[in-house]
Amino acid sequence: MSDLHYRFPPASAYRLNRCLFALKSDDDFRARFQKDAPAAIAAMGLDGEDAAALLGGDRDTLLARGAHPYLVFMADLRLKMEREPVSFEFF
Amino acid sequence: MLVGAFACAHTPQLLARPGTEDRDLVLRVHAAFARVKRRLAALRVDAIAIVAGDHVEAFFLDGVPALAVYVGTECAGAFGRYRYRFPIHEPLARAIVEQGVERGFDLFYTQAAPLDYAFYVPLHFTMPEAAVPIVPLHVNVYLPPQPTPRRCYDWGRALGEIIRAWPERVVLMASGGMSHFPGTDRYASPEFDYDRRLLDALKAGRGHELAAVTGEELDKMGNIELRTWATLLGAVGNARADVYCYEPSWHHGNAVVEWVP
Repeated sequence: MSDLHYRFPPASAYRLNRCLFALKSDDDFRARFQKDAPAAIAAMGLDGEDAAALLGGDRDTLLARGAHPYLVFMADLRLKMEREPVSFEFF
Repeated sequence: MLVGAFACAHTPQLLARPGTEDRDLVLRVHAAFARVKRRLAALRVDAIAIVAGDHVEAFFLDGVPALAVYVGTECAGAFGRYRYRFPIHEPLARAIVEQGVERGFDLFYTQAAPLDYAFYVPLHFTMPEAAVPIVPLHVNVYLPPQPTPRRCYDWGRALGEIIRAWPERVVLMASGGMSHFPGTDRYASPEFDYDRRLLDALKAGRGHELAAVTGEELDKMGNIELRTWATLLGAVGNARADVYCYEPSWHHGNAVVEWVP
């Protein structure tokens, strides 16, 4: 089962996943993150290596810490959509 | 009455297309969605019961339902500049959750949860001009352990019976698939051959085969979302699939399919 693409999210990664979830789905949090990322994630209770992993943005590091792959993917896409909105064609 | 059944891709790149996506391919999928929209109008649909896999939007790790029914008065969701609000067919939603529980499915229900794009991307393109209320039906696909394909199929069979006994004209829609691996090393190499073999089986009226697939196989093939199709197939049985399109992009097998139940 350990070679599954989508694995059981370990409880140790709850706060990390909660931050990724907020980046994906909470417009207000994403705005705070864009303005001051360290302060935004500190306010969510994320610290230490989890905070460093999220600020670093390296996918493999995040996954190794138990981040859910889909949350990493979509948090990144949502940030890109706001940073580079002109590169999208909207239907 | 169950008057129609459709499966639709929902990848958000169909809604907001970045430069990485082939525009012609996206437009071909839109054309297939337009066919669904015309069919829904022709079928004089009273409600759309839409089965989708939540992308950790309505439900985070605070509570992970395997199978859930949205029984509010309306539901809303947002993605970038898009804002959606749909009325819920509350009597039908309530009948589904009550009769589902009666039939032995321990369903979760909610009266207020954000709507995931898995629901509104297909509805964005297929909702008839005279909009109809919906019933969002959640299947957990992204947070293991997910319900088995067999369980989804059995739930779909019960769902089909409930809808068939309903006096109004209802369409069942499954949102999701086909092969894709978001957030993993496999993102750029989906299992298109698996998709094509499965579509061949569905065209031949062998929908029951999806019920026998394991969760591990779905994960391996980038098809965890096909639990929504398994649910639909439980309702339509071995009706033959009419594949409107199968468009493999560099990361996603986009399919639009109809079954006449």
